[in-house]
Amino acid sequence: MNDTDSSTDAVVIERTFDAPVEQIWQMWTVPEHFQAWYGPTGAKIPVAKMDVRVGGARSVCMEMETPGGPMQMWFAGEHLEVVENERLVYTEMIADEDGNAASPEGMGLPDGHSVTEVRVELDTVDGRTRMVMTHVGVPADSPGAAGWNMAFDKLIAYVERNEPRR
Amino acid sequence: MSVATAEDRLSETFAALANPTRRAILARLADGAATVNELAEPFDMKLPAISKHIKVLERAGLVVRGREAQYRPCALDPGPLEDVSSWAEQYRPIWESRFDRMDDYLTQLRTQTRGDDE
Repeated sequence: MNDTDSSTDAVVIERTFDAPVEQIWQMWTVPEHFQAWYGPTGAKIPVAKMDVRVGGARSVCMEMETPGGPMQMWFAGEHLEVVENERLVYTEMIADEDGNAASPEGMGLPDGHSVTEVRVELDTVDGRTRMVMTHVGVPADSPGAAGWNMAFDKLIAYVERNEPRR
Repeated sequence: MSVATAEDRLSETFAALANPTRRAILARLADGAATVNELAEPFDMKLPAISKHIKVLERAGLVVRGREAQYRPCALDPGPLEDVSSWAEQYRPIWESRFDRMDDYLTQLRTQTRGDDE
């Protein structure tokens, strides 16, 4: 694994689920199931549209409660690879309701990449399903100094929520 | 860099940040270098207590001390922060908690199916 890649621009998570591979595939490709787990804590997924075939579009709406009322965030993307029960690759871009690109910073998300790619690889190991999820940031030209401060704020919020165990 | 080393360094950074006084010190240093006396000013704390916090930040590599005589001004070293606040490290906990929920949801579905069968 490339060191620079893994530490800055890619999140790689491997998990094994006690479920058949077909069911994990559905977790990613059937809106009803996707909506059940996808939202970060405190967020709902009121809309998930996915045309699961190469070139097919995706549109996911995330809604979270903020002190100023509910806030909606839209993600638009395209399926790049679809191999049922094995491999799913799609792009994701922060967008508005109509699928136009929006800035990640403006939406309070980790900044630096406006287009990202999610790869899901599945296989069966001893009757369970091993899933390797890779979320890659597509390099942007200018991460920007303002972005760093934003990251710092987010880091502090993160640390405050997750005081380290000693 | 091994995964274990990277994680140890992350825990050390988090431990150093898990204190409001130390975060306030870093926030102050983000505006520019300062002496220990200057850093102590806004806090209702004795100098040795502040020095102790600064030492923790130094050990975590977040603060570097200058060499100028007795002042030895403190400056922020954002290096370790850049590691933990990189794009990927911000996303990781989001995905981890999503997959925890996927696991819970799968358990829930399994329980339901079993209930339906019986």
